[in-house]
Amino acid sequence: MDVMYLMNSLWTMLGAILVIFMIGGFILLEAGSTRMKNAGHVAGKTVFTFGLASLVFWALGYGFIFGSDANFFVGMSEFFYSGELVKDSGLATTVFFVFQLAFAGISVTIALGGFAERAKFSAYVIFTILFGVLVYPVIAHWIWGGGWLAEHGKQDFAGSTVVHLTGAMAALAATILLKPRIGKYNKDGSANNLAGHNQVYTALAVLILWVGWFGFNAGSTVSVDGAFFGFVALNTNLAAAAGAVAATLISWVVLGKPDITTILNGALAGLVAITASCAFVDVWASVVIGFVAGVIVFYSTRFFEKKKIDDPIFALSVHGTAGIWGTLSTGLFATPELATVGKPGLLYGGGFEQLGVQLMGVATSGAYAFTVSYVILYIMKKVMGGIRVSEEEEIMGLDMSEHGNYGYPEQMVLEESNLRPVVETK
Amino acid sequence: METDVRTYESIKEWKDKNIASFLDDTDSLNKFHDQVMSKVFDLAISRVNKGSPPCEFSWFITGSGGRCEQGVISDQDHGLIYEISNVENDIYFKKLGEEVSYGPFIVGYPYCQGNVMSSNSLWCKSKHEWKEQLLKWMEDESWDAIRYLQIFYDARVLTGRNSYVEELKMVIYEYQLKHHTVLKRFMENVTHVKNVIGPLGQILVEQHGLYQGSVNLKYAAFLPYVNAIRLLSIKEGVYETSTLDRMNCLKQTKGYSKALNGCEDNFLTLLKYRLTLFQVESYTDTHYLNIESLHKEQRKEIKRILKDGKKLHDYMIALIEKGC
Repeated sequence: MDVMYLMNSLWTMLGAILVIFMIGGFILLEAGSTRMKNAGHVAGKTVFTFGLASLVFWALGYGFIFGSDANFFVGMSEFFYSGELVKDSGLATTVFFVFQLAFAGISVTIALGGFAERAKFSAYVIFTILFGVLVYPVIAHWIWGGGWLAEHGKQDFAGSTVVHLTGAMAALAATILLKPRIGKYNKDGSANNLAGHNQVYTALAVLILWVGWFGFNAGSTVSVDGAFFGFVALNTNLAAAAGAVAATLISWVVLGKPDITTILNGALAGLVAITASCAFVDVWASVVIGFVAGVIVFYSTRFFEKKKIDDPIFALSVHGTAGIWGTLSTGLFATPELATVGKPGLLYGGGFEQLGVQLMGVATSGAYAFTVSYVILYIMKKVMGGIRVSEEEEIMGLDMSEHGNYGYPEQMVLEESNLRPVVETK
Repeated sequence: METDVRTYESIKEWKDKNIASFLDDTDSLNKFHDQVMSKVFDLAISRVNKGSPPCEFSWFITGSGGRCEQGVISDQDHGLIYEISNVENDIYFKKLGEEVSYGPFIVGYPYCQGNVMSSNSLWCKSKHEWKEQLLKWMEDESWDAIRYLQIFYDARVLTGRNSYVEELKMVIYEYQLKHHTVLKRFMENVTHVKNVIGPLGQILVEQHGLYQGSVNLKYAAFLPYVNAIRLLSIKEGVYETSTLDRMNCLKQTKGYSKALNGCEDNFLTLLKYRLTLFQVESYTDTHYLNIESLHKEQRKEIKRILKDGKKLHDYMIALIEKGC
């Protein structure tokens, strides 16, 4: 068997494993950023939704994205993928399938971040299915599956738009429809800090995601040819590093102290931003892209909070705002040598053409993801009698209301007994 | 101001009715608080129901009350010193200590969270026991012990013999003269100042919660002045308690007039701002000053006061570290 075929397959499989392991990062990220009473729910539902998203991707998603006989929105073959290998492919189709499945799983996980601490479990179930059928595959098809944006030369190497912006736009729709968590805003409009229960989890999550991102970006080469994955990995790491440093500096300057949450968001924003451009830009540009991402994510979180959009895990800023910046950045920094898709960027004599394509891609993909997600959730809200748990359930926590047991049983049972009226404990 | 002083409730009623007349001046507000506390003490004595106290004593208040810097609402901080320890006296003053903690609570002074109250045996002792305790605290040099000593140094007598507190403060002064490390420990106990001036010179306000956009005057503005001046007072043996009086005394001591230049005005301004923070409708008292609601000039003034406070605090630290 051809060595390159095997090596490409092996490398991409490693990438898929790394990306799937990022789900672990998201579990810790969301659990750490939310309160103790919801921790078990966050962890369990994330594993469940990844499982469900995998089945949806196998049944319909993959075919919609990469199938032939495509219409404007999706392809129309390869449903219920049988594991058949495509002849003359550079790597095993099964590996490519698993790799792509992992991306779809990440996107829905980001989207569901907007549900945090207040959505019914049943809402997670329904939305995971509908997002995997109606939202993600359309945008992935447009950009990666030979759709109209691909024809325009839209550059999105590993999915700043396809994965991150799509997920974030769905999260935005959910956040708007679900409304802020109880206690987030005061009557006078000021916001309270509903601090997450474990910053160490969150930091560990960022590190897991950072490492996983080598699978995400470098793995997206789906090839070992010329060891180009090393260049992509280099750009990825530098952007994350610059994002973390920039976020530290900006929070230090503005708040007077380096804010831990901002530092962590900065690293993630750098990673999200470089996802589109990691294969198209020079090394120095990756530092600039990451640095700018680290600064804008700080202002973005403040902006959303001021607008009373309660985003507990900062999905909108980290994946949305940084995703937009990352997608546009390649329109500025893509070099003639590296722009294997589309044209060079503005700074390399490409004029505004590529930047325009990137802008069009962001606007249309973002608008589609937001609108369709909003409509889905709106209908769900009407049909299901609401997608948010009751006030009482939210206060008791989703661990208990949705699953019947706590993620931290000893701690929470103790707190519960402290809250019980005195007469009952006598 | 006629008042019925037969119950704590009636004193509370009288206090609530009259306090509004003192809201625009810290000095008279504090005199009013003293008056209330004296009435509470007299009632407490009669409620203990054992006639006159069996020996000489001194009831002092400390904290912001001791420094004459109370706002409209403030916690209790007080203690008792009595002449001689014996079974009868110990029982009497224990009972009185409990009563003079309960009374103010009913009248509207919340219990002290740190338990600095006459009901706590740590703060209700004979003079001799107090002296031993102060020496033990100074030898101990633990964080808690040093914090207690600082609290004690703000003690001001409300009722009883004036000299007891002064005699005990002298114990602290004389000890630190011989043991230089104690003053350093005092200083280490208060080195933290909440930084509210950003690297670009902006005032750093609260980012979340009810006081979003506000600055915490207590931690960012008052404490640097209060702590620095208290430490310098301990060093120089100034027994006054109000920060302004301490400043006056220190200014007459060689070498301080330059460092304290403008501090008095700054502190007076802070006290004025502090009084504006009382919200009449909800009867709540806060330390949070909303920066956004201030005029440009006022913001500038606050920024200068904050910066000067930090400067004074840094001066105190440098001086004590140098050991002169």
